[in-house]
Amino acid sequence: MTDLTDAGAKRPAFDRSRLIFWGVSLLTVVLVGGPILPIILQAFLDKPLYDAAAGFTLGNFGRLFSEPGVGRIFLNTLYFGALTMVIAQLFGAVMAVLVGRTNLPGRRWMGEVFIWPLFVSNLVIAFGWFTMYGPSGFLTLASRTYLGGAPWNLYSVTGMGIVAGLSQAPLTYLMCLAAVTKADPQLEDAARSAGAGPFRALWSVTIPMIRPAMIYSAVLNFVIGIEMLAIPLLFGGPSGIQTVTTFLYDKGINAAVRPEYGIVGAAAILLLIVVALLVWLQGRLMRGAGRFVTVRGKASRPSTLDLGPWKWAAFAFVFGFVFLTILSIFGGIFLRSVVTFLTPLIPIWKVLTTGNFELVLNSETYVRSIVNSVVVSVVGAAIGTFFIAVIALIARRSEFGFRRPLEYVALFPRALPGIIAGLGFFYAVIWMPGLDAIRGTIFVLILAFVVRYIPVGFGAIAPALAQIGEELDRGARISGADWWTTVTRIILPILKPALFSCYALLFIHFFKEYVTAAFLYQPGSEIIGTTMLQLVAQGDNGPVSALATIQVIITALFVFLARRLLGAKIYG
Amino acid sequence: MADLIIENLTIKYGEVTAVENLSINVPSGEFLTLLGPSGCGKSTTLFAVAGLNHATSGTIRVGDRILFNGDPKATVPPERRNIGLVFQSYALWPHKTVADNLAFPLILRKMGKSEREERIREALGLVEMLPYAERFPFELSGGQQQRVALARALVYRPPLLLLDEPLSNLDAKLRERARVWLRELQERLKVTTVYVTHDQSEALAVSDRIAVMSMGRMRQLGAPREIYETPADSFVADFIGSSNFLDGRMIESGVDHALVELGDGTRLTTAPGRAAADGSLVVAVRPERISVATAEGPNTLRAKVEQKVYLGSVWQYVVRSGPVEFRIQTTFEIDAPEVLLHIPAEACALFAETPVGN
Repeated sequence: MTDLTDAGAKRPAFDRSRLIFWGVSLLTVVLVGGPILPIILQAFLDKPLYDAAAGFTLGNFGRLFSEPGVGRIFLNTLYFGALTMVIAQLFGAVMAVLVGRTNLPGRRWMGEVFIWPLFVSNLVIAFGWFTMYGPSGFLTLASRTYLGGAPWNLYSVTGMGIVAGLSQAPLTYLMCLAAVTKADPQLEDAARSAGAGPFRALWSVTIPMIRPAMIYSAVLNFVIGIEMLAIPLLFGGPSGIQTVTTFLYDKGINAAVRPEYGIVGAAAILLLIVVALLVWLQGRLMRGAGRFVTVRGKASRPSTLDLGPWKWAAFAFVFGFVFLTILSIFGGIFLRSVVTFLTPLIPIWKVLTTGNFELVLNSETYVRSIVNSVVVSVVGAAIGTFFIAVIALIARRSEFGFRRPLEYVALFPRALPGIIAGLGFFYAVIWMPGLDAIRGTIFVLILAFVVRYIPVGFGAIAPALAQIGEELDRGARISGADWWTTVTRIILPILKPALFSCYALLFIHFFKEYVTAAFLYQPGSEIIGTTMLQLVAQGDNGPVSALATIQVIITALFVFLARRLLGAKIYG
Repeated sequence: MADLIIENLTIKYGEVTAVENLSINVPSGEFLTLLGPSGCGKSTTLFAVAGLNHATSGTIRVGDRILFNGDPKATVPPERRNIGLVFQSYALWPHKTVADNLAFPLILRKMGKSEREERIREALGLVEMLPYAERFPFELSGGQQQRVALARALVYRPPLLLLDEPLSNLDAKLRERARVWLRELQERLKVTTVYVTHDQSEALAVSDRIAVMSMGRMRQLGAPREIYETPADSFVADFIGSSNFLDGRMIESGVDHALVELGDGTRLTTAPGRAAADGSLVVAVRPERISVATAEGPNTLRAKVEQKVYLGSVWQYVVRSGPVEFRIQTTFEIDAPEVLLHIPAEACALFAETPVGN
């Protein structure tokens, strides 16, 4: 063989890998910091952000606390969040054990139905609950007519919390399900041979192992509760109950009429701090979760537990739950979209109509919001997937000195409630010179959505990345590839399934998003979520249900295709 | 081909020193093995040569090309070192066929298609994997993957080949065949090779020279026979092969021999060596070097047979003489409860300390 001592790969003119490290890091810092900085500034300014005469003040916080009813608002928010969490944890965990580990009849399809709510926004869910269980809802009226009364009241903080909790239960379910089904069956086998019965083995060995999943999802659901807009807005609005998010929403929207920038900034900061603390707490609690990690090499499923005669009782419970909180909610939305008026007192066929869909499809604005939603999701998810993949690769697979800080910054949006992200981008676009060009366009929506969901995409990519042995990169490097070539030619091709999953998750999140867009859209850049939010406020329930139905159908189609064609993993 | 020069290499991770002040000169075409227990720094050294982890100080050169000299700015990144590396897990890219795996480094070197195909054929021919060019890695057996990994490391004709326990994932029989084959291939190509393993018999079988490492330091560098027969210290004596370590006291220390008294009062004439300051020492002697004697004489002792294990090709016994307990190996069975043993002077190595961990 000839000697090629001097011939490695040619030294490039400049180190492009370094350029990419710094470029992506800078972009991440700007994008994540962009919406936060103006909010912080605004909270301490006595005039609007863009007013050159604005000066430093602490008065905004004073004004916020002297606002009538503000204590009530904070208490409502905490109670609502806590109730959401408790209900979601309770039902989610029980469901996970029953579906994942017992011979419950119909557990396959019920388990599948159980995650439907995750695919749609809680605006759609809230509207569904309103349609079925609201004061003049279908089931409320039916119950009143045939049973003589309806013992529920959605228009109370407790009612809202129960609805929010039930609609968040699938999230807990999903996390606990992974924990109970992936537990090493040998651990239970060991308990069995040590003398424990099957119930005892499940209870004493496997159930404790869902603790990390419970802690993690508990904090997550609490955070989701306190930053939720749709349910408090729909159910709290009519009865004058406010939470921090509806307060921010009302004040922020009205800001055009009555400048309340300062108060909004102050309230936003408080919410941001609380959520950031909770996310930090979540991280703290999850430390040392390693002792619960049992997933080891061999892929074997744990055995299912025979419930014996109890299985029909369990079936009744689970079916009742699935029927009353999921099937009837989706059914209600669909049904409402094809009738002029939904009531159990008039036979359905007498009120059938295609009017709602005609109204939507003949309105330029409504059609535009559908098209915009699709464009934002298709394009935004692609941009997001690429951006997040590069961040993950730098953070986890590079020699970049600041890769840990980059990951922290990139994952910070976990602590950024949608309403604040929206508000922040709204400020940023007004405040930063040059950004006026994208104000009120779908570009700013894509930008805001990508930032908000970096952690979601990262969560889909990082575990798959960890599965790819580092010697594959090292092999490429020693073969003569620089970092970027290694990434594009070796790692990304192997990572393809995870990239598809990331794309699918981002698509779904972008498609159902409404909160983040609430402050950012303008006529021309409306999306389905914002249009529904507007229509709900006006009480136009016909077009809302038609839009919701269209959103659900497109989502279902997408999920079906993504699973079939791309093999994307979406929620299990 | 080129020689590899490592001078005063130190690799620290925070407070932990993984490799300390290591200097090795591997002449062109030599097969050098880094041998040691896990965590001794042998793979760390190998990857520092490859540029895949960061050395702290020292120099690494291939020929007259400096790859590392302690200055981070002057450190050559792995992709420009032009070194072949075979990983323990083979690291074949799962989404590329065998031929594409080999083509990648050539494409990076901007080689034309026809020349590339020629090179790939040649390299696959060398490892007898030509018929498998269009297969994907998952369609190959472990032994075949290992050959492809080797072909991939050789296809761009690097002057230096690094092998990180490349045979450890093969089963025992295949491993023995593969190491003979590997050595033959290396001799044919005359590529300078650094081989990392924790398997001493593998190291003894394939190497020109072996560097025995422990806790980040090199304990001995020499030809296999030298390492086995004249270990530099008790660690090497213990790690390579198996040795009895008998506590003793120095009675007389000469130029060409020494006289040692064991715990049971037996006096042995041994090869020369040094004792600790207080005169205490250990005598290292391999079980197979101790023979059954027919008559009493110098360096004989009587011992009780305490335990007997049949190992197929040999018998192994644990015998005891007073407080001194040790192992011996014979090719025949000993029935008597007591046995007279002869320990040849040249089979005894003296060390001041017992090996760490004993």
